[in-house]
Amino acid sequence: MSIELRGVSKQFGEFAAVENINLDVPTGTLMALLGPSGCGKTTLLRLIAGLEIPDEGQVLFDGQDATLWSVGERKVGFVFQNYALFRHMTVYENVAFGLKVKGRRERPTAAAIRSKVHSLLELVQLGWAHDRFPAQLSGGQRQRIALARAMAVDPQVLLLDEPFGALDSQVRHELRRWLRRLHDELHFTSIIVTHDQQEAIEVADTVAVLNRGHIEQTGIPGEIYDLPRSAFVHRFLGQVNELPVRVRDGRAYIGPLDIGAAAETLKGKGENIALIRPHEIEIGPPSANWPGTLVAVRVIGPIVRLEICADGQPIHEPLEAEISRERFEAERFSVGQKVGLRLRRWQVYERGTRPHNDTI
Amino acid sequence: MRRRLLIGIALMFMTLFLAIPLLTVFAQALARGAAAYLAAITEPAALSAIKLTLTVAAISVPVNLVFGVAAAWAIAKFNFRGKSTLITLIDLPFAISPVIAGLMFILLFGTNGWFGGFLRTHHIHVVFAVPGIVLATIFVTFPFIARELIPVMQSQGNDDEETALSLGATGWQTFWRVTLPNIRWGLLYGVLLCNARAMGEFGAVSVVSGHVRGLTNTMPLHVEILYNDYNYTAAFAVASLLALLALLTLAGKSFLEWRQPELRRTGHARQRPKGGKR
Repeated sequence: MSIELRGVSKQFGEFAAVENINLDVPTGTLMALLGPSGCGKTTLLRLIAGLEIPDEGQVLFDGQDATLWSVGERKVGFVFQNYALFRHMTVYENVAFGLKVKGRRERPTAAAIRSKVHSLLELVQLGWAHDRFPAQLSGGQRQRIALARAMAVDPQVLLLDEPFGALDSQVRHELRRWLRRLHDELHFTSIIVTHDQQEAIEVADTVAVLNRGHIEQTGIPGEIYDLPRSAFVHRFLGQVNELPVRVRDGRAYIGPLDIGAAAETLKGKGENIALIRPHEIEIGPPSANWPGTLVAVRVIGPIVRLEICADGQPIHEPLEAEISRERFEAERFSVGQKVGLRLRRWQVYERGTRPHNDTI
Repeated sequence: MRRRLLIGIALMFMTLFLAIPLLTVFAQALARGAAAYLAAITEPAALSAIKLTLTVAAISVPVNLVFGVAAAWAIAKFNFRGKSTLITLIDLPFAISPVIAGLMFILLFGTNGWFGGFLRTHHIHVVFAVPGIVLATIFVTFPFIARELIPVMQSQGNDDEETALSLGATGWQTFWRVTLPNIRWGLLYGVLLCNARAMGEFGAVSVVSGHVRGLTNTMPLHVEILYNDYNYTAAFAVASLLALLALLTLAGKSFLEWRQPELRRTGHARQRPKGGKR
C-alpha cells in the first residue's frame, strides 16, 4: 500500500505541529521520519494512522482519499515507543486481540486464531513466552510482542513511533537489524519515527528529515548524509564543526585564510558559516598553511577523535577531527603537539536562513 | 529509639481516638445482653432503617459508578473547553458542608422551592421522601469514584486505547476489554469508599429526610433518634451494625491493597476479560 500526503497541516491550539507537508511513501518502502523532539514527526505518523485528523490537506492510501477514515478502517499496524501492551492479558491474548475483536463474519475460527498467533510468536522468536504477562518480559521482548500483535491483523502498513527509543543501545541495534530483515521478508510499507540519525540511516530506504513542522529534505540515507541541502540537515545527520566564513570573489575565507572556492550565489557576505564533519578535516605536519595545536585525544573503538585549536579560532571552541585508530597508533599524536590542518570537504551556508534549533 | 517513640505516639493516638471509641460502641450495644441487642436491631423501625440505607446505597453507588467513570474518562482522555471547571465541580461536594448540600435540595424541590409547584401539581414527593434522600446521597458521594479514577486514567494515557482501535476494536470493545480491566482496582476502591459514605451519610440526608420513622429514616438518622430518646442500648446496637459495615468496607479495601502489588509483580490476573477464552 502506498501512502501520500498532500498539503497536510495540523495545529494544536496556537502551535502548528506540521505545516503543508507533502510526502510520498511508495509501496514496500521503509521510510524513516527523522527529526529532533517537537519537530512534528510523531504528529505526522499519527495523522497517517488516523489517530489525528488533519486540519488541511489529504492523506491518500493507494491513491484513495483516506483523510476521514477511522483508525480501524485504515488497517495500519501501530507500534508505540512504550509498547502499550495490554498488561492484564498474557502474551498470547495480546497477539490474539486484533483477531478476537473482529466481527463474527470476519473472525477466523478459534483454531485458525491459535495457529496464527503461535506462528507470529515464532516469527518474533518468543513462542516460549505465550503464557507470560508483559510485566514478566524485558523491554526488547515486549517490543517484539507489540510488533507481533500489530502484524496479527495483516496490516498493509506498519507505523512505528520511536519503537526502540526506550531500549539500551545493544538491544536497539539487534532489533533494528531484525526489523529490517522482517520488512524485507514480508514486503509491507513501513514508516518509522526516530530522533536517532544512526537508526534512520541504518534501517530505512528513504529518510525524511523534519524540522519545526516542515520537511527539510527527503532522500536515500547516503545522499542525505553527503549532500545536505540545509545547515539544519547537515547538523542533524552527524557531528559537525562550525566555522564563520567570509565569502569574497568566489573564495571562502576563515579570517585571512583562504580555504577554497565557494558559490557566488550566497548572500549576506561575511555572515556565512562553513560546516565540516570531523572526518573531513585532514591532519598533517605543522608545515601546512593552517597551523593548530592538539588539545585533547579520545580513543573511541576503531576511531580516534582529536580536538584541535586552530589559529584564528577562539580557544574555547576547538575543532573536532577524526582519524583511524591505525593512523593514530602509527603517528603517535600527543596533546600539545603542533599540527597542520586542511579541509577536505566543507559546505557553506547562509547564517540565519533557517532558525537554529536548540535541541542539537 | 526515636523511631520507637514515634510509633508509640502514633499507636497511642490511634488507640485513644479510634480503637477505644469503636470498642465502646460494641460494648454499649451488648451491655444488656444479646437478646436486647437482637430486639433492638429487629424492631420494625430499625429494620426499615436498615432496608432504606441499603436501598439508598444500592441506587447511589451504581449511579455514581456510571457518572464517575464517564467524568473521569472525559477528564483524563480528552481536552475540551471547561475541563478545569468540571474538575472543580467534581470537588464541590467535598468542599461544602453536607448540611448545605441538603439545604440546596430543599431550596430546589421543597414546597416553596424552585420546582416545588411543579412537583406538587404532579404529586411527586422528593423532599422528606426517599427520592430526596437518594439525591442528597448521590450528591455527597459523587467525588469518590471520579477522584479515584482520574489519576489512574491520566497516568495510563491513551496508548492502550489507541492500540486497540488500530487493531480494529470498536469503542465498546475497547472500553470493556482494555480500559475497564486497566482501571478495575481503582474503580473497586472508589466503589468501596463511595459505598461506605453512602451508608454513613448523616448531614445532607438529615436535612432532606424529615425523620419519618419507618419511612424516611436511614440508619444514621435512626441512631440519632434513639439516642435522643435516651435509648442508649438500641442506639448503640444499630450504630454497631453501621460500624460493622464500615469495618467490612475497610477490610475489603485492605484486602484489595494487599492483592494489588502482588498482582502487579507477578502479573497474574484473577479475572480474565470476557472473551479472553473462547
